[in-house]
Amino acid sequence: MSDKDDTETPVIKEATPTLEDGNCEPDKNSESVDQSAEPESKSEPVASTRKRPEVKPSSELETSKVQETVSKDVTQTGWGYWGSWGKSLLSSASATVATVGQGISHVIEKAETSLGIPSPGEISSEIKCAAGETNARENENSSLVAGPFGVFSTISTAVQSTGKSVISGGLDALEFIGKKTMDVIAEGDPGFKRTKGLMNRNSTLSQVLREAKEKEELWTSNEVTMETDRKPHYGLLFDEFQGLSHLEALEMLSQESEIKVKSILNSLSGEERETLKLELEQLKEAFSLPEFCDEEEEEKKGLGFLGDEDFTKEITELFSHLHVSSKPEKLARTRNTAYEWIEAIPTNTLAEKKEGEKQLEAENTEEVSKNSIEDIHAFAIRTLAEFTACSIELFHKTAALVLHGQKQDVTATERSQILSQVTVVLCKELSSLSEEFTTCLTTAGVKEKTDTLNPLITAVFLEASNSASYIQDAFQLLLPVLEISLIENKTESPACELQVQKPLSEQH
Amino acid sequence: MEAIWLYQFRLIVIGDSTVGKSCLIRRFTEGRFAQVSDPTVGVDFFSRLVEIEPGKRIKLQIWDTAGQERFRSITRAYYRNSVGGLLLFDITNRRSFQNVHEWLEETKVHVQPYQIVFVLVGHKCDLDTQRQVTRHEAEKLAAAYGMKYIETSARDAINVEKAFTDLTRDIYELVKRGEITIQEGWEGVKSGFVPNVVHSSEEVVKSERRCLC
Repeated sequence: MSDKDDTETPVIKEATPTLEDGNCEPDKNSESVDQSAEPESKSEPVASTRKRPEVKPSSELETSKVQETVSKDVTQTGWGYWGSWGKSLLSSASATVATVGQGISHVIEKAETSLGIPSPGEISSEIKCAAGETNARENENSSLVAGPFGVFSTISTAVQSTGKSVISGGLDALEFIGKKTMDVIAEGDPGFKRTKGLMNRNSTLSQVLREAKEKEELWTSNEVTMETDRKPHYGLLFDEFQGLSHLEALEMLSQESEIKVKSILNSLSGEERETLKLELEQLKEAFSLPEFCDEEEEEKKGLGFLGDEDFTKEITELFSHLHVSSKPEKLARTRNTAYEWIEAIPTNTLAEKKEGEKQLEAENTEEVSKNSIEDIHAFAIRTLAEFTACSIELFHKTAALVLHGQKQDVTATERSQILSQVTVVLCKELSSLSEEFTTCLTTAGVKEKTDTLNPLITAVFLEASNSASYIQDAFQLLLPVLEISLIENKTESPACELQVQKPLSEQH
Repeated sequence: MEAIWLYQFRLIVIGDSTVGKSCLIRRFTEGRFAQVSDPTVGVDFFSRLVEIEPGKRIKLQIWDTAGQERFRSITRAYYRNSVGGLLLFDITNRRSFQNVHEWLEETKVHVQPYQIVFVLVGHKCDLDTQRQVTRHEAEKLAAAYGMKYIETSARDAINVEKAFTDLTRDIYELVKRGEITIQEGWEGVKSGFVPNVVHSSEEVVKSERRCLC
């Protein structure tokens, strides 16, 4: 009974890198048969942004064509634009963005036409149509019933029904395009901005992420035996860091709060109701701003990226103002570990290269640098997933504490404003992280063919951009939570009490 | 990087505040013991793979709940989607043992129409000198509710593996016998991604069993 456990041996930890299970072998074979039979059904085209490029997926003409398209479009615009997507993508000429966007949407189109899924082109024009009404209507799309809010779920179901891992990467690529397209449109048309928020609500982010993850799981389980299993999968990693669970938990709290707010509003009438509505409206304002502030970022640019201390200090300080007991320690650790890792790279690579040159073995050198760009890429994706998961965990904990923590001397509006600053800081950090990583990739991969290097760089930017979107969406989930908190502060009694009897005095 | 698993089980860990739920889970998932830890806020999430038979892995998703009363409304929401649970009390804290009934009542109400396979865990068994609950009475209580009883220590890593793997095995048996089934809209048990071959070999095993009977 009191035998000591050996915690190391008997059980396999999740991070087990390889699988020595002989059972998978036959599956691998059938997979490759499948592949040659119907090349179009494979997910290569989309996945190309998510993983390191395979040397040659052979029979897949589709794939190589698509990959070419991506890198071509991307090189046209130059890395500079991508390098500061946090800002430049939003502020630069729409044409640039459109080119890049088309490159990716082209990829998805390729994958989707074979599945009968609406192409992103259709979708984005649908979005324009429905939301903005500023652009010329495109009638041929009217057959698409889904509308802007149902689009993603339509796609996911379609994907599900195929039972393949197709488009797992496409979902977020799509989201990326969607978001960026909307941003660009919003730039030229301020009136449009109002509707942009709706994109975030098109429901459950965790569903989209979960589906993507499940596809990735299926995908990896099908190819574990192949030597490709070191590929970083953002979705899987995000889940491994418990990002999905925290996101779901946050969604749960958000939904509950939303229902409560509605029922409280319904229980009120006349003036009381109007006053409360007005206050909630004011609270909402704090949630509409997390757009990158260009000027501010310009200033920061001059100083270079935030030093280790700065980010940690900034985020810790913001959290201390929130007056919740959760602290961003894990987040800061993740981020600082990343910078330490990055700092350690250049010397390594150089040393390896020198050695290689001395030996005058070109092949060897290539091998070394190839490994290292893949390592950098893998580490970058891992870091982004972890950083995002930690951020979402923080939002989840904050929500729990706002709802059930001890009463604090901070108003809901103040908290909202701080949280929106937190969101901005997090997104900026993602931007600088991705810049750091891609700079490393570029340096380490000087000798690489652009075909090898570019997809890795694209993938890092894509995932960073996705990460930023997830964080912003998670931030939006906090709104109903803070609304409840606002109502509770007014009534001084638990929210479930529906009678709001106290005078609604403390405006401002 | 991601190993294959047969099933995914969701387990919930409940019990009074400060009985050591988070420490037990951390010992199990991270192999570490933290001397100091903050009280859990709402719920926390952990996962680990467990090999119950050679080549057969189960992914455990472990929900660590806050023991504090104020978070009860959050933690309640998690009973429904759990297939198994560890109900902890602290052997040096009589009160936490007395509350076991309440915990069971509470889960019974919120888990409907499903059920949770519970194991009763007497935690902090390294502190035997301060013991306030005898093994005998704990076993009696467990038996009354049809639970197994086990004593653990996160600090000295006693029985931590056993507590989780035994529970996992019991659930696995129930799943195999069809007493627990995978259901739409219920997250307690989910099928993993396994190459077809494993499924078929499992069927072979099953049919052999049937013959024996």
